[in-house]
Amino acid sequence: MKLAELPKNLIISHLKHGGLKLKIGAFNVCIYSPIDTVSEHLLVLYGDYDIVSDNDFIDFHTVVKSPSIIRRYFRPQVNFSFDGYFPFKPLPYTQASAMFEWGLNWCIANHSHQYLVIHAAVVERNGKAFIFPGNPGSGKSTLCAALVCNGWRLLSDELTLVSVVDGLVYPAPRPISLKNKSIEVIRALSPDAVIGSVVNNTAKGAIGHVRPPTESVKLASVPAMPAKLIFPKFLDGSKTILATLSKSRALLKLVENCFNYNILGVNGFNCVSDLVNDSDCFNLEYSSLNETLLLLTDLSD
Amino acid sequence: MIGEISIELPMDGKISCRFYLDECVIYNQFSAETHLIGGVGAEIFNVISKKSITRNQLLNYIRNIFIVEMDCDLETHMDNLLQEYQDLGLLVVSMNYSA
Repeated sequence: MKLAELPKNLIISHLKHGGLKLKIGAFNVCIYSPIDTVSEHLLVLYGDYDIVSDNDFIDFHTVVKSPSIIRRYFRPQVNFSFDGYFPFKPLPYTQASAMFEWGLNWCIANHSHQYLVIHAAVVERNGKAFIFPGNPGSGKSTLCAALVCNGWRLLSDELTLVSVVDGLVYPAPRPISLKNKSIEVIRALSPDAVIGSVVNNTAKGAIGHVRPPTESVKLASVPAMPAKLIFPKFLDGSKTILATLSKSRALLKLVENCFNYNILGVNGFNCVSDLVNDSDCFNLEYSSLNETLLLLTDLSD
Repeated sequence: MIGEISIELPMDGKISCRFYLDECVIYNQFSAETHLIGGVGAEIFNVISKKSITRNQLLNYIRNIFIVEMDCDLETHMDNLLQEYQDLGLLVVSMNYSA
């Protein structure tokens, strides 16, 4: 059963009592939160996700709630916890939904060592996975959202999961996190895109999440073959330049963008090397999304 | 007794090498460090990843591959690289004696 098929009052009841259990890619996630903005966030953006039965194993038990009763009234705050562990300091209450997304990123990045976890967006077209590693501000999520709004399959906008066993990219499609000007850029590019409530004044500025396409969520258990490894860099006013990157340099750059390379040891090195061998590697400088979309679509034909 | 300097990868298999055109990337399991190596260094690892080699054989091999200007001391450069890689634990330099 999909989340959207459940009545709203039942979803809120699950969130407040016992937890709402969703299948998100390869992970079963239990979410407990009495906060209205979190339930609204899930209702708007997670409608296509399957509900997990009570008997299924849960990978991540997450809680998003106020730290104390006093804090509900005096400068209200919100905490994220995973199995009783609090990885972050509390944030303002208004940032609860964004904190849930960041918290889930943290859970996956730190507890999924069956995969090489890369800080990268990944999308797929014609059976070819395009991986965009990059630091915050590189424009990878904006590019990812633009591609997904143009029919590409979303695997992830933040965490690329490469199996250390078969080298395939496994999806964990979730709402695409857009920051500041990117929110309006994607609204203008794709007026049909569903963007959840914008959370203002976070450490990263204003944050809005784009609902993942139904088809991408439906294919969340289907891995993709890596084909292109592209390091994007948004430079205001720049031309669109796609420059071939040597595999040795790409390997080193990729290592810098991995969350668990050191934990995986030689398996991590082999996985990164195989990924680079299997992919054409590029640096991409861009400012025009339309030009870049055409270029990448040509590359995927 | 005649001594020969032998150069090889550590026998414990803790060094992994991947070669790309004129560069190589090396992973050291002991230090968990990843090294990008180019030029003469990449050629050194290309040779010793296949078999151990003596210093003189390696020097001849390198001389044949790299066209070196007359004023460049390739021998010193190679010895410096060998020392650096040995310090990093990426290769083993040892003295072998034969009768």
